[in-house]
Amino acid sequence: MKFLALIGQTFRELKSKATLAVLVGISTIIILVVLIGLSVTETASGSMLMLFGNPVSPELPFDKMVFLVTEVQSGLANGLYAGLVLFGVFATAGLIPEMLEKGTIDLFLSKPIARWALLSGKYAGAAVVVLGNVLYFIGSLWLIFGAKTGVWNLNFLLSALTVTFVFACLYAIVVVLGVVSRNTALSIIGAFLYLFVISSLLYHREQSLYLISANGLYRGAVDGLYYVLPQLSAMQDNIARQITNGTIDWRPFLQSTLSSAVIFAGGAALFSRKDF
Amino acid sequence: MLAISSTSLSKTYNSGLFRRESVTALSNFSLEVEEGQIFSLLGPNGAGKTTFIKVLLSITFPTSGSAAILGQQLPNVRVKSNVGYLPENHRYPGYLTGEQVLRFFGQLSEVGRSDLDSRITKLMDLVGMSKWASMKTKKYSKGMMQRIGLAQALVNDPKVIFLDEPTDGVDPLGRKEIRDVLKTLKDEGKTIFLNSHLLSEVELISDRVAILDKGKLLKVGTVDELTSSGSVYSIGINSALPASLKNEMNTMGLAWTEGENSIQAEFRTNAELNRMIDLLRSSDVEITSVIRQKNSLEESFINLLQREVPE
Repeated sequence: MKFLALIGQTFRELKSKATLAVLVGISTIIILVVLIGLSVTETASGSMLMLFGNPVSPELPFDKMVFLVTEVQSGLANGLYAGLVLFGVFATAGLIPEMLEKGTIDLFLSKPIARWALLSGKYAGAAVVVLGNVLYFIGSLWLIFGAKTGVWNLNFLLSALTVTFVFACLYAIVVVLGVVSRNTALSIIGAFLYLFVISSLLYHREQSLYLISANGLYRGAVDGLYYVLPQLSAMQDNIARQITNGTIDWRPFLQSTLSSAVIFAGGAALFSRKDF
Repeated sequence: MLAISSTSLSKTYNSGLFRRESVTALSNFSLEVEEGQIFSLLGPNGAGKTTFIKVLLSITFPTSGSAAILGQQLPNVRVKSNVGYLPENHRYPGYLTGEQVLRFFGQLSEVGRSDLDSRITKLMDLVGMSKWASMKTKKYSKGMMQRIGLAQALVNDPKVIFLDEPTDGVDPLGRKEIRDVLKTLKDEGKTIFLNSHLLSEVELISDRVAILDKGKLLKVGTVDELTSSGSVYSIGINSALPASLKNEMNTMGLAWTEGENSIQAEFRTNAELNRMIDLLRSSDVEITSVIRQKNSLEESFINLLQREVPE
């Protein structure tokens, strides 16, 4: 009951913020654009996907329509999913620093709830809200694509769970930064830095970080970091793969689950010892 | 059973670069509070009053020493089911109504769903907030926030209630109502631990009072014990003192002054007081009253702190 109360309160807190309204608003605009603009034009030799009358795919035979739609969905995913995750972080990063403010944290900590459970409730609340928005966004696009093209790509719908998983991994880092710094801006900057710089550099380390030195120890350390930290860039590739052919590389999934759990546990341990 | 106890509790805050600067908020602080009392902790700003409550509620952790609530050693999450807390400068989410605030914190305090509705209705009525229960807290005045805060502290029907400046921002009528609520709670057997700057209020409702300064306990006792000026008496008389009697009193070595129809004198023993009365009576001076002098709690508090300054 306490855990559900925390999730419910987190939902109300986010609902009261403009950032969540912006997140849902942007999702709705994109959904409306696809709903109004997407169409299929059939010619004598095949079909083309059109957006506001402009072709967004080459002309392909009718039997290639499934391939065509999944490719478009995959492209859409590449362009928009990082945005979904980052807007999710933007909307929810303030939850922890605001909970830690004087006058608020005293109330929470005076209740019969363990500190780790308090943090977990906030974390779960943020993840549930982002899952709701991702399901709304991807579910709507899935319905539009299905209704307009006749291709009901279930893997596209399931990718909503993978996107939420990426958010959940990134949010573990946001929580730790929030506990340490009690600062929303720093938490957001840290999350962006991790997703776009650190995770990307480590994933493409052979084309980037390896070029700095050929030293075995250095490269071993880089590899070590890659295998210790959440592999979010690899997860983004996983999403594209999931949409196009329904396969998932489980290694980054499992590794990211484990490392994010360790990061979150570290944050919870810090929170449990902190004076307020 | 003791509601609250602490033994040699110390808390030092480290801050600054490399945590080199340290501030001692509590120093070997030992205190016992019996169940069913209204106990007030007084002290100037920065004396360590709020830190003590925070340590008891495990919001802050002690550097050394131990403490217990209702006999259970701290830190202990479970004991908080029997504790209510109104922090100073508390902040409730502005997007929640007063009723939602009570519901949320009631749920966190493990109040059963079936009890919560009736509890909320009762508490809103108790603190005089029924009319504004559905209003968002961002529209509340300071006084309304204090009232809803008090209701929040009582939502789980706690045995021990910590109130940090509960009448802060409340008008005189509201303060009287809060005092009445606290007396009712005491009659129900609750223990109330109060931090307040309003000494006149503390004096009216407290069973016992402790005075704290710079993290150290200076004095603890009942309001009577703290406000008594010791052995200074005012003796009412209805005639002037004969010169022979004045000489006799000086011979006794008493510190005394004569006022209009009264004598103020400090007696080292009860025997001295009785000897004085005998002298007055034998000199045919009619005694109209014998009153032991008392300070207000504020005067006692200031006197005590001023005595501590040289240290």
